[in-house]
Amino acid sequence: MTDLSFRGTGAMRLAGFTSPVVGWTLFAVACYLALPLARTGRAFLPLDYGLHPVVLGPALHWLVVVAAVAVTLVYGRPASSGPQVRRRADRALLAILVGVAGLGISLFAEAAPFGFGALGAFLGLAIAAGAALSEGNRVRGDAFTGAGIVLCLTFVTLFITYPLLMVLRSAVWVDGTLTLAQFAKTFSSPLFLFVSNRFTDVDEARQVALWAAAGTAAGTAFGLWQTRTTALPRRLVLVALWLVGGAIGGWAVGIMLWGRGALPSTLLVAVIVAPSATLLGFALALLGQRTNSRVVRGCLGVASVLPFITPPFVIGFSMIFLLGRRGLITYDILGISPFANPLYGIVGVSLSQILGLAPVAYLIMRGSLNSLNPALEEAATTLGASRWRVFRDVTWPLVRPGIAASLLLASIESISDFGTPLVLGGDRNFLATEVFLALTGRYSQSEASVYGVVLLLLVLLVFLASRWMLGVRGFATVTGKPASGAFLPLPRGLEWGLLALAGLWLAFILSLYGVIFYGSVVELWGINNTLTLRHYVEFRNTAWPVVWYTIQLSVASAIPAMMLGGLIAYLVTRHRFWGRSYLEMGSLLSFATPGTVMGLAYILAFNDGTLLMTSTSAIIVLALVFRNMPVAIRASMSGLAQIDRSLEEASATLKAGSGTTMVRVLAPLLIYPLLAGLIFAFVSAMTAVSQIIFLVSAGRNVATVLLLSRVERGDLGVAAAMASVLIVLLLALIVVLLIASRYLDARNRGKGLSI
Amino acid sequence: MNRSIRAEPAAVRLSGVVKRFGQGAPAVDRVDLQIAPGELVTLLGPSGCGKTTTLRMIAGLEDPTAGSIVIGDEDVTHLPAEKRDVTMVFQSYALFPHMNVRANVGYGLRVARRPRAEIADRVAEALDLVGLGDYADRSVDALSGGQQQRVALARALVMKPRVILFDEPLSNLDAKLRQHVRGEIRALQQRLGLTAVYVTHDQEEALAISDRVVVMNAGRIEQQGSPRELYARPATHFVADFIGSANSVPGHYDGQAIHLGNARIAHAQEIAPGPVSVIIRPEAVRIADDGLAARVVSVAFLGPVIQVTFATAVGAITANLPDDSREDLREGADVALAFGPRGVHLLAPVAS
Repeated sequence: MTDLSFRGTGAMRLAGFTSPVVGWTLFAVACYLALPLARTGRAFLPLDYGLHPVVLGPALHWLVVVAAVAVTLVYGRPASSGPQVRRRADRALLAILVGVAGLGISLFAEAAPFGFGALGAFLGLAIAAGAALSEGNRVRGDAFTGAGIVLCLTFVTLFITYPLLMVLRSAVWVDGTLTLAQFAKTFSSPLFLFVSNRFTDVDEARQVALWAAAGTAAGTAFGLWQTRTTALPRRLVLVALWLVGGAIGGWAVGIMLWGRGALPSTLLVAVIVAPSATLLGFALALLGQRTNSRVVRGCLGVASVLPFITPPFVIGFSMIFLLGRRGLITYDILGISPFANPLYGIVGVSLSQILGLAPVAYLIMRGSLNSLNPALEEAATTLGASRWRVFRDVTWPLVRPGIAASLLLASIESISDFGTPLVLGGDRNFLATEVFLALTGRYSQSEASVYGVVLLLLVLLVFLASRWMLGVRGFATVTGKPASGAFLPLPRGLEWGLLALAGLWLAFILSLYGVIFYGSVVELWGINNTLTLRHYVEFRNTAWPVVWYTIQLSVASAIPAMMLGGLIAYLVTRHRFWGRSYLEMGSLLSFATPGTVMGLAYILAFNDGTLLMTSTSAIIVLALVFRNMPVAIRASMSGLAQIDRSLEEASATLKAGSGTTMVRVLAPLLIYPLLAGLIFAFVSAMTAVSQIIFLVSAGRNVATVLLLSRVERGDLGVAAAMASVLIVLLLALIVVLLIASRYLDARNRGKGLSI
Repeated sequence: MNRSIRAEPAAVRLSGVVKRFGQGAPAVDRVDLQIAPGELVTLLGPSGCGKTTTLRMIAGLEDPTAGSIVIGDEDVTHLPAEKRDVTMVFQSYALFPHMNVRANVGYGLRVARRPRAEIADRVAEALDLVGLGDYADRSVDALSGGQQQRVALARALVMKPRVILFDEPLSNLDAKLRQHVRGEIRALQQRLGLTAVYVTHDQEEALAISDRVVVMNAGRIEQQGSPRELYARPATHFVADFIGSANSVPGHYDGQAIHLGNARIAHAQEIAPGPVSVIIRPEAVRIADDGLAARVVSVAFLGPVIQVTFATAVGAITANLPDDSREDLREGADVALAFGPRGVHLLAPVAS
C-alpha cells in the first residue's frame, strides 16, 4: 500500500478556490444577496424583502459584490511561491476592506437597523479578512487563528469598548455641544455630595476641613520619613505627592464620615466592606484548610456557593424580615422601636454586602492558601519557630497577594452593587442606584452617564491602586511538583475562636435563607402565620413563564460566553498579534465595569441607528455573554498555563490546524475550566439584575427583575416563593454538576486525564 | 515488511537562516545547511547554541527572521507546521494525556481523515515497528519513559514524513536505556530510509548515530562533517573540546614535525609552520622510554582504562592508558611520554 496523499501540501494547496478567503467571501455575498439587508422597527430580523439590496437600489453597499468578484479574480490565478501567495492575500484583504467599508458606510448613513443580510455579510467578510491576514502572513497562525483574532477584536470593540465610549460621549455631549456642564451640575447636586447640613448642630464642612488638614499633615510626615534617603530635588517632588495624597485621603475620610450623598456613601461602604469581608473570608479559609472536621469543611463549602446562586438583593430582602423595623430579631425579640432601627443605610448595606462577599473572599483566600507549599512551614518549624511565628513569618507574607486580590474584588463588587442599596439604602443614596434612578426616574441620560463615568473611574482607580500595591505578581511557590507534607494545624485557641466565628456566620446565613423559605409558605409574614401553598400556586401561574424564559436566555448566553472566553484565552496566551493586550484589557474592563453602567452603555449604544437591538432578547443575551465571558477567560487561561505547549506543537507537526488542535487536544484537557466557566456564566445570568434591568421590556421580563418588582409592590409571599424556587433550582444544578464532575474525574483518571 | 511506512525522503536546505528573539544577539545566525535524502544529521552543541531553534524552524514552529528553508523542492520558509511534511519527536514526548496509545499514534491520520481501516492498519504497523504492538489500548500514563518515547516515535513515523525531527528525544531516559534506544532509532532510520535531523547536547550520542554531525556554537555552525572527521580533524578549539576530550598544549611546527618541550613528533598537516596549538586525544598518549618529560599528578581507575594526569613543561596532559601499562605509575613518578601518530592534530595557536 503506497500512499502519496501527504504529498503536495503547502503552498500548492493554497492555490485556487479552496482557500477559506474565497469561501467566506462567497458566504458573505450569498447572505447579502439572499436575505434582506435591513429591517424596520424593533422586530428582530424579520424576512422583509422590501429591504433587499437590489430593491433598495444602487448604493455603496453594492461594493460587497464588487469585493467578492475581486477576491475571486485574485484567487483565480494559482500562486506557487511565497511572495505570490502573500501578495494575493494582501490584495484580497484590500478588496474585503472595501466591501466592509461600503456596507458599513451605507448602513450608517441611512441609520437603517441591520438585517440578516448585513449580519451574514459582515460575519463572512470578517472571517475572510482573518483568513487573508493569515495567508498573507500578517498574522502568525492559520486561517482559524486569523479569523478568531479578527472576530474577537470586533466583538470586544462592538460590545465592550463602543458602549462604554457612548457613556462617556453622552456625559460630555449634551444637546449637540461638547460641555462639562452636566458634570458641574451633578457634582454640585446634593444627591452626589452634600456636606453642610443646616439642620444639624455640627459644622460638617469644618469637620471635613479638619480631616483634610490632618491627612495633609500625616501625608507630609510620612513622605518625609519615606524619602529620607532620596536626593533633594526628587525628594521635594515625592513629598509634594505625598502631601497631595494625604490631603485627598483626609478629605475623603472626612466626607465619608460627615458628608451625605452618593459618593461618600459608596466610598464609606466600600471601605467598611472590603477589609471586613476579606478578613472574614481569610479566617474561614484558614479554618477550612486546616481543620480536621469534615463537617466544618462541608458546611463551609456549601455556604461559600450560596451567594453566587442567590439573586443579589435577596439577602437584603431577608434581612428586612429579620432585622428590619418589624423584623423578627430587632422588633419581636429585642424590642427596638421601628424609628430607632439602624438597618436602613450604611449599616444594612454594609452588613448585607459583607455576608455576600465573604464567600468570594473565602474562595480567593482558599486558593491562595492551597498554593502554599507545606514544606515551607515545615522548614520553619524545624528551624525552631513556634506555630505563631510560622504564621507571622511564613504564611502571612506568602498569602498577601491573595489578600490584595480579595480586597480589590470586594471593593469593586461593593462599589458596583446595585441590588442591596436599592433594598436597604434607606435615605442614603449610592452611585450604582443613582445611575438607575437618574435614567428611569429623572429621565436624564446625561446625568446617568455622569454617574456612570464616576463609577467607572472609581473602579479603575481601585484597580490601578491594587496593581500598584501588588507591584510584581507576588510569590510563585508553584513548582510543578506535587507538594508533599501536611499543613500545620492551627493553635488550639485560634481554632476554637475561628470555629465560633464560623458557627455564628453559618447560623446567620441559615436564618437568612430560612426566613425566605418561611416567608414563602405563610399567608403574610409577621401578620398571619398560617401555612399555605398559595404563593407557590400563584408563582406557578404568573411567574413561572418568566423564570422559564430566563433559563432559556441564560443557557443561550452561557454557551457562547464559555466558547468566546475559551477562544480569547487561547488566542491571548498562545499567540502574539497586534491588539492582543487590547483584547485582554477589554475583557477585563467588561468584568470590572459596574453592571448598571454596562446596562446604561448598552441602552445608549443599541437604542437606535444601525445597531438597533433594544427590546429584543438578543440584546439581553449579548449583555450577559460579554458580562460573564471574562470569568471563562480567566478560568481557561489558568488551565492553559498548565498545559505544556509541546502538546499543541506535536498536534501541529501531525498536520492539525489550530482549530482542530483546540477541539481535539485543548478542549478535552480544559474540560474543567470550561465547565466552571459555563456554570458561572449560567448562574450569573440567572441571578443578574443590574446589567439587564434597563434592557428588559414588556413581555421580555427576567426572573430577577420580576422578583424586584414583586418586592417593591409588597407581594412578599410570591417574591419569597420565587426566590426559594430559584435558589433550590440553582443549588440542585450545582450539586448535579459537582457529582457529574466527580464521576468524570474518576473515569478520566482511569484514562489518565489527570495531568 | 514495512511497505507502507516506507517514506519518500526529501532533501532539506537552509540558506542564511537567522532567528532573532527580541533585541540582542540572534539565537540562530546565518545558518547554511544541506541535508541529503535519507541522511541522519545531528545538530550538536551546548545549551543555548541555537540547535533546537534551528530544528523548530525546520518544523515550522518558529518563523525565521531571515533566510529560506526548502524541503524537497518546495520553499516552506513561512509555512506553518501543519502544512509541512515534517514530523517531530519532542523532548517531553508531548503525548496527549487524554488519549490512549492507539489514539495518540492515530491522531495525525484522523486529522487527515484517512479511512478507518487504513488508520487501524498503519497504527498497528507503526506500533509493531517500535515493539509496542501489545500496548495499543494502554493509557499513556501507564507506560514507562522508554515506552512513552517509543509511542512518540511511532506517532511521528506513522505519518510517513519526508523529514523526521528529533528534539533531544533521549534526555529523559536513564543512561543504559539511552544507549539501547539510540541504537533502535538509528536502525529504524536506516531501514525506512528516513531523512532525519536530530538535536542533542550529548556528543557520544551524536557520534554513535549520525551520518553527519553539525556542531553549533552561539547560533552559528562551527564545523560539520562525519563523526570520524570531526573527531580526527576538529577545525576549532571549541569543536576539539566539545567532541570527545582533548588536551590542548602550545607547540611549534616546522613543516615535518611538532616540537613539544623536549620531544619531537613527526606529523604531516597543511598548516603554516610556526607556533601552533597541539590537540592531543587522551588515548593518543603512551608511556615511552624517550619523549616528553612528565610527572604523574593523579591516577583514576575508570574500569577498562586508567586516567592519568601528567604535569609537563608545556602544561597538564591527561591520558587514558591501559590498566596493565605500568605497575609503578604512582603519583610523583617521573616518566617520558610519546604521542600519536593518530589522535594528534594541529590548530592555529590561541590568540592571547
